[in-house]
Amino acid sequence: MTAWLLDLPLALGLFGAGAATLLARSLFGAVLGFISTGLIAALVWVRLEAPDVALTEAVIGAAATSVIILYVASRMSAGAVAPAPPPIAQRLLAGALSVLLAALLAHALQELPDPAPSLAAPILETMVPTGLGNPVTAVLMAQRALDTLLESAVLVFAVFAIWSMAPERRWGRAPGPAFIAEAQGPLAFLAKVLPPIGIVIGIYIAWVGADAPGGKFQGGAVLAAMWVLPWIAGLIAPPSISDMRLRLAIAAGPLVFLMVGLAGFAVADGFLAYPPGFAKPLILLIETAMTLSVAAALACMIAGPPERRAQP
Amino acid sequence: MAELLTGAAALIVLSALIGLARVLRGPTRADRLLAAQLLSTAGIGALLLLSAAGAPELIDVALVLALVGAFASVAFVMASRVIDRR
Repeated sequence: MTAWLLDLPLALGLFGAGAATLLARSLFGAVLGFISTGLIAALVWVRLEAPDVALTEAVIGAAATSVIILYVASRMSAGAVAPAPPPIAQRLLAGALSVLLAALLAHALQELPDPAPSLAAPILETMVPTGLGNPVTAVLMAQRALDTLLESAVLVFAVFAIWSMAPERRWGRAPGPAFIAEAQGPLAFLAKVLPPIGIVIGIYIAWVGADAPGGKFQGGAVLAAMWVLPWIAGLIAPPSISDMRLRLAIAAGPLVFLMVGLAGFAVADGFLAYPPGFAKPLILLIETAMTLSVAAALACMIAGPPERRAQP
Repeated sequence: MAELLTGAAALIVLSALIGLARVLRGPTRADRLLAAQLLSTAGIGALLLLSAAGAPELIDVALVLALVGAFASVAFVMASRVIDRR
């Protein structure tokens, strides 16, 4: 009975935060509206009984995306050139198309048969031989493993794209700007206290993904956040972008995934097929390597291309 | 009991949403930032109440949100530290 008391404010809040993002006069206000929208969306996913999506929304929306866009927005507004707003006709057209899309989606939702078509039952039947307890992980790592493999390769290419923004003379330096070490203050305190706890929680989230909400992306993102914090406080320096260990860490996940996939030709039915009885250990092996890669790639995306000047 | 906990979660969400007005109105950057941070704190509270109301897997979501919730503030500091160096 009290469910609507929670769901109605969440739905209105999501709408309000979205409107606040679009109507904000300053770039900074729009970015914070976007972060708020993500936080409310995480709660909405919880109410829709999709805790895996909620976890991803919380960790990617609240940590990775908010750090990247808030940082970029602050640096843009510090520059001399303000981005020109698009012409009014373009904005009206974009608004009209968005309203049309929303109306079509709402109409499609009304037309859904009741009960809605679902693949949940066949998935729950076929996930038994994988030994996994979380149907979301079973779909990602067994039924739709090829999609996940391609997604994991996207991370590597994203880091390529960011690093290729570096000017020639800075190639081979450490990624991102350099920060002056701060011995005192709340940031230094947080950077010393949080990472030990956060690393344990990050590994836990990646590990528990086999049986409960969690997994490599969420755990890896938490680990990346725990590296970013002491880096901003100036307590640790990132490795050079030509460091082979860093490059190997970023590529490890897709590489292991691909090798397990190719091994499927020899020991199982084909590409990305797991031999019976070995599905769970192999999936855990891929997940471990992927957690490392997601953490390294996300940390490199947050840091950005090398821009460190010569040290004084 | 679950009804009561869900109602309490609704109350928390509602109070945080009132704070959302500060994200829109400001006037200072710190007001906007703290209003967004209030939302993440309220989210942790609501998630814990909902997990006690019968969805134990939500504790992990609350745990992660507690860990990374402060990162909007960290990014704010990060940007100001880079710009101060110029």
